[in-house]
Amino acid sequence: MTVQYRLKSFFRKPHNIILFVLVLILSYLTLVPLLTMIIDTVTVHTAEARRLKLPVGTVTLSHWAKVLFDPASVSIFYKPLLNSLITSLGACAIALGFGGTFAWLVTRTNMKYKSLLSSLCIFPYIMPSWTLALAWYNIFKNSVVGGTPGIFTALTGIQAPNWFAYGPFPIALVTGLHYAPFAYIMIGGILRNMDANLEEAAMMLNTPRSRIITKITIPIVIPAVLSTFLLVFSSAMSSFAVPTFLGLPVRYQVLTTQLYRTMNGLNPGQGYSIAMIMILLGVSILAMNQKIIGLRKNYTTVTGKSSNIALVNLKKARTPVSIIVAVFLFSVSLLPLISFALESIILRPGDYSPSNITLQFWIGSAADNTMANSEPGLLLNPTLYRSLWNSIKLSLACSLCAGTVGFLAGYAIVRGRGKKLSDFVNNLAFFPYLMPSMAFSAIYLSMFSIQRGPIPALYGTFAILVLAGTVKYLPFASRSGINAMFQLSKEIEEAGVIMGIGWWKRMTRLVIPIQKSSFISGYLLPFTSCMRELSLFILLVTPANRVLTTLLFYYNEKGWNQYSNGINLLIVLIVILFNFFVNKVSGASIDKGIGG
Amino acid sequence: MPEIVLKNVTKKFGSFVAVDHLNMTISDGDFITLLGPSGCGKTTTLRMIAGLETPTEGEILIDGTVVFSSDKQIDISPSKRNIGFLFQNYALWPHMTVWKNISFGLENLKWSKEQIKERVEELLDMLKIREFAARYPAELSGGQQQRVAIARTLATNPQILLMDEPLSNLDAKLRMEMRTELKRLHKETKATFVYVTHDQLEAMTLATKICLLDKGLLQQYQSPLTIYGKPANLFVADFVGSPTMNFIRCEAKSVDKHTLKLSNQVLCLHFSASSDLTGVTGGPVTLGIRPESVTLSEDGKLKTVVYSSLPSGMETILRLQIGDLLLNSVVFGSLDFPVGSELNISFSGQSVVLFDQEGTFVTTGSLALA
Repeated sequence: MTVQYRLKSFFRKPHNIILFVLVLILSYLTLVPLLTMIIDTVTVHTAEARRLKLPVGTVTLSHWAKVLFDPASVSIFYKPLLNSLITSLGACAIALGFGGTFAWLVTRTNMKYKSLLSSLCIFPYIMPSWTLALAWYNIFKNSVVGGTPGIFTALTGIQAPNWFAYGPFPIALVTGLHYAPFAYIMIGGILRNMDANLEEAAMMLNTPRSRIITKITIPIVIPAVLSTFLLVFSSAMSSFAVPTFLGLPVRYQVLTTQLYRTMNGLNPGQGYSIAMIMILLGVSILAMNQKIIGLRKNYTTVTGKSSNIALVNLKKARTPVSIIVAVFLFSVSLLPLISFALESIILRPGDYSPSNITLQFWIGSAADNTMANSEPGLLLNPTLYRSLWNSIKLSLACSLCAGTVGFLAGYAIVRGRGKKLSDFVNNLAFFPYLMPSMAFSAIYLSMFSIQRGPIPALYGTFAILVLAGTVKYLPFASRSGINAMFQLSKEIEEAGVIMGIGWWKRMTRLVIPIQKSSFISGYLLPFTSCMRELSLFILLVTPANRVLTTLLFYYNEKGWNQYSNGINLLIVLIVILFNFFVNKVSGASIDKGIGG
Repeated sequence: MPEIVLKNVTKKFGSFVAVDHLNMTISDGDFITLLGPSGCGKTTTLRMIAGLETPTEGEILIDGTVVFSSDKQIDISPSKRNIGFLFQNYALWPHMTVWKNISFGLENLKWSKEQIKERVEELLDMLKIREFAARYPAELSGGQQQRVAIARTLATNPQILLMDEPLSNLDAKLRMEMRTELKRLHKETKATFVYVTHDQLEAMTLATKICLLDKGLLQQYQSPLTIYGKPANLFVADFVGSPTMNFIRCEAKSVDKHTLKLSNQVLCLHFSASSDLTGVTGGPVTLGIRPESVTLSEDGKLKTVVYSSLPSGMETILRLQIGDLLLNSVVFGSLDFPVGSELNISFSGQSVVLFDQEGTFVTTGSLALA
């Protein structure tokens, strides 16, 4: 067989064409940045030239030396690393503790209002990760580190101590609560699908309930727990907004904030080195996760169909437990929104008396708001509308691009399954997940600030935001594409092939309609993630194409509390409304795409 | 007329050879079954005929046209091969009604509305599924889904129908019913049927010719009764027939042109061949005796002990012990025998098979005790 013929028959299959094109594009958009980043860890940048007394572009190991083997390494790298580990581990414990308990209560007991509580529980995960952080800050901030005290002090007169208001404790707590719904979805899924006979068999042998939980239920959900643990851990490690809000007031640095400091400051080389270490951490966490998922398949019983297990009767505790859970969920999902609303309508921060309430930050004219540099009220503010429009435009563009590419990738990866090319594209499409957002955007900034081949210089353009967002959210979209395609037997499509139905028609009339809701979640996830993204865009935006989240960050840095709280409220409402809308229209929901 | 010819067709998945230099001609109007244990390459062969799988080497002709050739670099797409394909899991489109499932392919061929309506109604009647026309696949039972799948496959009037274990998801009773239905359809449509199965009974009852594969290699390609009576080798003999054939290893000594003296620790027999025994003069051989040739007889000289007895009403399957040898036997009629009781047997009929040392078919003949 000639090479020509081989190529011809290779490209006759649509999935091979897609794989081939994706290899080219994704290599350029993910592998080239990675290589650039590796090179950046050993070269001298403009910002460092004077200090290092070396010309720009010289190869040097000084960044690595400074990060790893210098007396200053402790404060540059080791301390932030330790802090990151502490807060991430804490977050995992909290997420698994709350999420797991709630999953058990919902699937295994006769708690009241299950379906209502279950949907309320997903709230913190839909909201941006910093929502709870900002709410915590609003409520517990004290005057010890300067500024005005929060709602808690105003109500009780007690100053929250520093360890409680800022630093590792609230960071871990808030991050953990944000990911608790994720743990609930993962563990709840296993508990729901677990063969109830396993527990019933133990019950027949007169095993006490507590022993059944510790000896049967927990060991069976352990793989799911470990998997959740690793995913929460890596997400917590790369979180930027939460430590910014809750750590910086007391100079508590973690890896991501350190990354922002070094990259935005005088030591980009050190920043890239830190980013490389974070990528390596991410890759090893992912490898561990793959291994655990591989093991999980050994629990053949997990796939068993679930019969109706006798629910644990909470008896007298039923009502109190239900109420406690309801109050708790209410306070983590609705209280933050109330705090934002409240903070956005008080004139002098720290004074919550009715006489201090004003709507001028929402509807006041520029002249009313002299204290905030004559910024017009939010609803009259052209900057806000421009940012809002940018945010929506950007989220739509990213979701369209990432969703479509993700669908195509999922299709091609599943159809070409078992081939090296397919595995390679699969890894390429997932790789951006492991790149810390900040480092990723820094690389894009340097890669596309000059013209490269047919691609013009993109710095300051809307296109670079779309590009970064699309690639960064591709992992979500390709995961749901892959999941959707795995659920669809290939015979469904082959039946069309035999009848001579063309590829386009097979997609639009057979594949997509059947897996509609899974594919829509492939579009939904990038949209919501993009709407609330901060760290990815913070280095890339210019004042002209500012988005809501960076505007929030800008107001926050300026200390215009009412504005930042107001915008936060808007972002959360938009995200929730959009989710609700898509859910009603298509039946797709965010928890479907998580792979639970 | 559609005749399917496979010439030296080979399919490799990496280093694994799924189908190894397969040569086969399927005549027009045949009902062929591809039979073999799982992993023998039968489904791969079917998918290569359909064009869903690309052979590594070889040539496939349908109706005189080369549809695939590795040398001439031809690979015609499935839709242009005038075939229908019936999938094991039916592959009905879950979001379309029964009507739409059948009509979708026709719409794609730009048939007129009236033509489509006429054809769909014809098929609904032919397969007796008219009352389900407005339902979705999920609302149908397995057997009904199967009928819809057949109707959809037949809609475009394919001259060749390829079927991949289409009955394996049905219960035993429905399977019997659908077998009858398929034979009727084969008559009615006058199409060529190629049918994959691992169920030897299904292959025997349906096919005009059976193609038996093992590990990618063609073992035998003949009519069901030939395969049953004159199996090409030990594998075929063992695979076809239930209960399985009895195999007895013996040492042979030539007596004359037609007769061998066979012996082992337990038995001493005379084998009279139905044709000349040119090849075999002596040495180790294997006898193959179908269970129905092991008959109970009062005056039989061979004493056996009942090891197990499985009566099913119409017949009783016996396992009989002679020394350390176990023989399968089928006795017709409503009979049961207590385990441990003694029975006398003899070997009846002309259909005892002689295999040589390599396990290859030599001839058939009759047996008598020496």
